[in-house]
Amino acid sequence: MKVAVIGWELPPFFSGGLGIHTFNLFSELSKMIDVDVYVPHLGPLYPFNSIKSKANNDLAGIYGYYQFKVWRKSGFNYSWQLYYPFNVRFVEIGASEYNFYDAVERYNRAFDKIDINGADIVHCHDWITFRAGIKIKERFRVPLIVTVHSTEMDRSGGFYPQKWIMDIEKDGMREADRIIAVSQYTKKMIVDTYGIPKEKIFVVHNGVGRHFLELPPRNYHSTGRVLYFGRITAQKGPEFFIEAASKAIDMHPGIKFVIAGIGDLLNKTKEKAESALPHDSYRFTGFIDLNEALNLYRSSDAFVLPAVSEPFGITVLESMSSGTPAIISKTTGVGESLRNVLKADFWDTDMIAEYIVGIVKYSGLRSTLGMEGVLESKQFTWKRAADETLKVYRSK
Amino acid sequence: MNTIAIFLEVHQPRRLRRYSMKEIGHSHSYFWDEKNYEIMQRVTKKCYVPALKVFMESGVKASVSLSGTFMEQAKEYAPESIDEFKSYFKSGLSEAVAETYYHSLASIWNESEFAEQVKQQVSALKREFGVKPESFRNTELIYSDKIADAVKSMGFKRVLAEGTDYIISRHSPNYIYRAKSGISLFLRNYRLSDDISFRFSNWEWPEYPLTADKYARWISETPGNIANLFMDFETFGEHQVAETGIFEFVRALPKELKGRGIEMVTLEEADRMFEKSQTISVPEITSWADTRRDLSPWLGNEMQKQAFSELKRIDKKDHVWRSLQTSDHLYYMSTGTSQDITVHEYFNPYKSPYYAFLSFMNVMQDIKMQ
Repeated sequence: MKVAVIGWELPPFFSGGLGIHTFNLFSELSKMIDVDVYVPHLGPLYPFNSIKSKANNDLAGIYGYYQFKVWRKSGFNYSWQLYYPFNVRFVEIGASEYNFYDAVERYNRAFDKIDINGADIVHCHDWITFRAGIKIKERFRVPLIVTVHSTEMDRSGGFYPQKWIMDIEKDGMREADRIIAVSQYTKKMIVDTYGIPKEKIFVVHNGVGRHFLELPPRNYHSTGRVLYFGRITAQKGPEFFIEAASKAIDMHPGIKFVIAGIGDLLNKTKEKAESALPHDSYRFTGFIDLNEALNLYRSSDAFVLPAVSEPFGITVLESMSSGTPAIISKTTGVGESLRNVLKADFWDTDMIAEYIVGIVKYSGLRSTLGMEGVLESKQFTWKRAADETLKVYRSK
Repeated sequence: MNTIAIFLEVHQPRRLRRYSMKEIGHSHSYFWDEKNYEIMQRVTKKCYVPALKVFMESGVKASVSLSGTFMEQAKEYAPESIDEFKSYFKSGLSEAVAETYYHSLASIWNESEFAEQVKQQVSALKREFGVKPESFRNTELIYSDKIADAVKSMGFKRVLAEGTDYIISRHSPNYIYRAKSGISLFLRNYRLSDDISFRFSNWEWPEYPLTADKYARWISETPGNIANLFMDFETFGEHQVAETGIFEFVRALPKELKGRGIEMVTLEEADRMFEKSQTISVPEITSWADTRRDLSPWLGNEMQKQAFSELKRIDKKDHVWRSLQTSDHLYYMSTGTSQDITVHEYFNPYKSPYYAFLSFMNVMQDIKMQ
């Protein structure tokens, strides 16, 4: 079996979680079947201007740390073909100046002419590749699989979703022979919001990176530190974090809050923190890399993700596998299959504050959640995700 | 075997409501009255009353223990269940068995507290039912030589324990033994007990459906003197709901047993019938819970240990403190092993061990402040 994967980004050139997913999942799948991964050839130009630099810590995005690993392994004279365990096929999109939506447009159009070299199946990821997938399906009469990592409804946090993107999403989901959703939560969203029959939707949870699964046990002496780590954007609920932080400090003075990551709400969130929290009780870190992230996870008493709508939430698994208790919203997809996390409604900042204080104050809660969380997170491997994805390819 | 001794544990804890941190120092009402009422009502209607009626109509003999926290709540929320137990004791089919009033873990940490709670339980049984127990069954069959010593010194003649794999590898559970303290020791036959309490309605069990005829045959074909069938009373109508056919099974059982010459007896009757030729020593604590049959369902993780040590430290000797000692509170905090987790979740009104812990700890902070 050979699969043509219509991707968007790959380490070391990417800005978001899609690249990590593509890299990890298809590295595993390529041990079982032939895999061709298509990505646009963007040259040095990339979304959010963050990539066109050399290999240093400014390199981009909250997930920047994955890049260095790949980069360093292959040296500065890296070769794509040499490194990846699957075939990478660059698609020329002929853009001289980078504009995200324009690049998406050109990339999808390029699939009018591309030959998929005998692939039996086409697999694409999120709306940015859906139209290419539909074309391939029609031109080569192969089944179309689409993975929904997030929907426009998630990304907009329910506020002003862009209709034209939702239309593309809907077309892709309709044309797809089978849909992979990253959680039951997302599956429900696809059924309820996009009106897709549930029979053709399969849930495959993401894995957590290997380096997170191989960490030594941590200790549970309280540091009094509580972590927010992720993009600072409406979808992830940073305002609820600050609100809960303020309530937690009222109940238990002395807790310190660390807000790691960047995003469109960074300044707003800073302003909010300034007015709601004592000055010495919080810190914004900006971008952080792998080592910093690990250090933060492992030196915090708790990790909080009050996401308004989070299709999966890989940071929850990273936190758990680091041994750090996670407090998450009920609207965080990965939570549906986790026992060893504390869950609250994203708006219920009283409850979130209570959980924060409970974890800081009661060592028994901290260490039990931490230790059980490590064990539970270990089941989320990319190998398992690949096995389940293969089952979806083979199902009728 | 031509004798069976059925023993049934009747217990309901006073469950704690979700008590938040902000209430500490302000609210001193801890118990989840609505939930406790609802559960007592439901179990009375589905289980206690119909099961006791079936027992009496068809002549099923069983020894029973009723925890103090059950009796209190039954009187308050569903007095008809108390009436039904009264009739059962009067019918001569049942023997009352003692335990701690609070269904607590007092036996493992404080001998005088243990004795006090047993005393309370014995007087409650006398007050409510006019019965005086001579047999003792500790919380969830928690047992050791040391506990048997304490039980003997309180004047009991016989004690119940789990027939763990380790013990039954050398001593069949189908005889009566002597505890190291000298009192009679009954070991639970967990296979035959679980056939009813766990497997009765399990479609995947090769023996499904279990009929009274088949079950009586198994007993008659098993070597030994006596089948000790110990389980939750709530097996009949609550864990195994009426729709599973459990009541039909119970109704048919006395006839099937009789047809094979098998007699149903109380613990006291059994004790008189059989020789106790061997003494069994159980130095380590055992119980009937989970797959490990030890204390891990209550003290297996750090939360449970912290909650338990806080509880011990408070040492207030009043009704509220003792109600918090009910072992179920700790059981709800269990993170368990994967085999046991379904059972734990079935019993957990908070759905998560972490929420159970938080409420419990918050309540204890409030008690400490008073």
